Order: sequence, then structure tokens, then C-alpha cells
Amino acid sequence: MRMSNFSYLVKRGVGSVFRNAMMSFASFCVLLVSLFLVSVSCLLAYDLGVVFANIEEKNEIDVFVQGSVTQEQLTHITDAININTNTDRFIFYSKDEAWADQQASNPEFTEVFDQFNAIEENPMPHTFRVTVKDISIISQTADEFATIEGVEKVAAPYDFASALVDIRSTLTAIGITLLVVLILTSIIIIYNSIRSSVFTRQKELNIMKVVGATNAFVKIPFFIEGMFIGIAAGVASWFITKLTYDAIVGLFQSNFEIWQIFGMVDIMSFDSVTWIVLAANCVLGALLGAIGTVISTAKYLKV
Amino acid sequence: MVELKNVDVHYNDGLKGGIDALNDVNIRINDGEFVFIVGSSGAGKSTLLKLLTREIQPTKGRVFVNDYNLSKLKNRKLPYFRRSLGMIFQDFRLIPNLTVYENVAFVLRVIDKSKRYIRQRVPYVLNLVKLGDKAKCYPSQLSGGEQQRVAIARAFACDPQIIIADEPTGNIDPALSYEIVELLMDINECGTTVIMVTHDHEIVRHFGGRVINLKDGSVDYDDYMEGGR
Repeated sequence: MRMSNFSYLVKRGVGSVFRNAMMSFASFCVLLVSLFLVSVSCLLAYDLGVVFANIEEKNEIDVFVQGSVTQEQLTHITDAININTNTDRFIFYSKDEAWADQQASNPEFTEVFDQFNAIEENPMPHTFRVTVKDISIISQTADEFATIEGVEKVAAPYDFASALVDIRSTLTAIGITLLVVLILTSIIIIYNSIRSSVFTRQKELNIMKVVGATNAFVKIPFFIEGMFIGIAAGVASWFITKLTYDAIVGLFQSNFEIWQIFGMVDIMSFDSVTWIVLAANCVLGALLGAIGTVISTAKYLKV
Repeated sequence: MVELKNVDVHYNDGLKGGIDALNDVNIRINDGEFVFIVGSSGAGKSTLLKLLTREIQPTKGRVFVNDYNLSKLKNRKLPYFRRSLGMIFQDFRLIPNLTVYENVAFVLRVIDKSKRYIRQRVPYVLNLVKLGDKAKCYPSQLSGGEQQRVAIARAFACDPQIIIADEPTGNIDPALSYEIVELLMDINECGTTVIMVTHDHEIVRHFGGRVINLKDGSVDYDDYMEGGR
């Protein structure tokens, strides 16, 4: 196809956005709402992931070492923890550090501690504090640590970890379902809006086919129209998403102390992803508009 | 050249075995001819036109138009075949939101003609149908006769081998009807085959020429008639 004829079709596509202003506006609104909901859901889902990651970071397995352990056994335990595939990192908390911390945190019992130190040895065990990579198998990892020779016992927040995993899986499932439903709903509504628009121009389509227009020639203006509306909705959605996201983050940050516990300090700012959100909205908008158009014009091309 | 060989068209309407729209039709129209196709309602005229534009396929027999065997024509080649035809309809079928100029230019864009060619060709064909001064008008601003002349200009713009006119005088004043047919005759004199479907026997009697009369789906009469003009 000649460039001049292609640009004519592009002009016709863009022109028909304004000629069929009401239909275009309806499609634009549907796309805008869908893209906005998808964008905000994705951003909040990402932030929720960060929050959960932060909470998970605070989940540690405490591996208590037997009091009679030798230096060789201690090295063996260190190696065994180190090579475990679920170990992210660990710190060694010596019995001396533990006892010193115990005394420092209870200054009112200084005399009791002094008397105890005079007659008894340090009662605290050596401890390894292990942060795991995957919280969902924390129980299995703890069991593996418990079988290491020289380990007295293992403590892990099993119930908390299990609840966290359940919440995360449920939220992921809800998020994916919401996303799929929103995208499908958008395609169906766009399909219907554009179908109505195509239906009103059925005569035009018929004339095009009768004079020998190829399917591509007929579809290009509708395709451009769908993409144009999609991109416009994408830009508008980006703008509204920015306002909404900043408002939500602002609201949370005003309660900084509470949210710091959940790791809100690590939440991304919209500015750091603004171009990605803009591009994703435009691409998704153009794609939804174009797909809706292609499906809805197909029926009217059988002339 | 148009050739129909032993063509049957049967419509399945789900009731009592359907309808036989055409029965064993054999027609040959040579290049450069002007042919009137007449017949009463339900005689098979519309079915015949639909066969020629490959909107439908025959139940039996073969249809050849402009060296295309329409029974074997693949759907992806259909647009290219249709570009060898010029179509004129009773209801004009102009695109309402395009000007007269744009309506004619539209078909040239469809066949991917250059901007320069379009700029030369459109005024030429509009002058041919005496509408050069109406190029910027929209169809709604024209009379029925003028709209049909635009449709003729559009059909002729691509310089097709055959022009098929389906009741081109059906929606215009009788006085203007003769003007429209004369225009088609002028185009025919340039070498373009014209097939005109009509139920206006007065026009047929006035102009004469080859007349094919369809009756109950069969060719009842196919001969040359002396015109009164």
C-alpha cells in the first residue's frame, strides 16, 4: 500500500473518532475505568508484595546449640546451616553475647546477675538466627536444622508463617482473578461499543467491499480508531492513577509509625515508575482497543 | 466477457426444500456489449447480479467474469476481481460523510492509485458526468439524478472492464432516467461492457439493443431489439 493511501486511512480512522464522538467517548470511558483499575491494582499488588517481603524478612529460625558443644561441632553446624538451600543469611549469636544482652536489658537485677555469675556458669546457649528465603517451607527447614548434630532445639514462628503464606496466596489469587476479569470485561465492553459504531457504518463497509477493498483496507481505519481511543484512555488512566496512588501513599505515610512496621518505608514512589505505568497503560489501551475493533469488524466483512 | 454455463442457484430456506432462483441459465456477454436484463420481481435478476459480483456461488454450473472463474475464486482474491467491475446501485450507495470528490477518489484509493493519478482522474470523470462544479458537495446536497451520476463516475473512475448497473433509474425522475442511460451508453462506446438490470420497459424499448428477459429463474428471451430513439 502506498504511503499516501495509508496516511489517508490513518486520517480517516482518527477523523471517525470525532465523527462518532458519542460512541468514541463511551469506549474511552470504559477503557479508562478498566485501565485505571488494572494500574492501581498492579501498583498496590506490587507494594503489598514489598510489605510481605519485609514482614517475611523478620521471620527467623532460632537454632539453639547444645551447651556441651565443641568448636568442631560448632563449625559443623555453621556449615550445615550455610549449605541449606532455604538459608538466605544467618548470624551467630554467641552465648556470651546473649548473656551480656540479657544482663544489659535487665539493669534492675544487676545484683542477682552478679551473685549468679559468682556461683554458676553462663546458662545461655549459642544461637544461630537464620533468615529463610522461602517462608512457605519454614517448617521443613526448621526440621532439617533440628536434625543437625549438636543442635539442642529449633524455634520458628510456624503459625505466623503459615498465616502469612495463606494470606499471600489468597491475595495473589484475588489479584489475578481481578486482573483477568477486568481485562475480559474491558474487551467485551469495547467489543460491544465498537460493534455499535461499526454497525452504524455497515453501509460504508458494504460499499468498501463492493468496490474491491481488501479486508486490511477496511479494517485499518477502525483499527486506528480503536488504538487512538485506547492510547488516549491510557494517558488519562496514567494521570488518574498517579493522583490516586500519590493520595493513597500520602495517606499511609501520614501514619508512618504504624506502617513502618509493615515495611511501608520501602514502598516505591510513583515517579520512579511513571514512564513504565504510562507505557503500559498506552500499550494495553491500544491493544484492547485494537483487539475489540478487529473482533467487532470481522462479522461485517463477509460481503 | 461474462459467461454463465448451465447455472442453477438454489436457496435453502428450510421450508419445503427451498427455492430455485435460477434454473439452467446459459448467458454469454461479449466485451463491449450493452445488455439490458429485464424480468418481473422474483424472476432471478438480483440472483444473477449476485452471481456476477460473487456475493453468492452457483449451486451448479460455472460463472466466468473477466477471465475469472468465479467458482474457483479464492476469497482473498475476491477484492481484486471486484476491482475489474464497476457497480451502480438503485440507492446510489454513496458514503454520506464524504464529498462528491472524495466518494470518487475513495475507489481509486482502494485500488491503491497514486495521489497524482487521483488528482487527475477524479476531475476528469466528474466532468464526464457534468458534475465538475459539485465536487465539494456532500451527497445529501445533490438531487437523486446527480447522486446517480456520482455513482456512475465512481464506477467508471477505475476504468473497469464491466459496469453492472442494478436498477440505476429506479430512484430518479423518469425524465432524468434517459439521461442516466445515455451516460451509460456513452461509457459503453468507450469500450466498457455495460450490464443494466431494469424493470422499466419504456427505457428498454426506447434504447433497444440486446435484451435478456428472465422468467421464473430461466432465460425467456435473449435477442436484439430495435430501439425507438
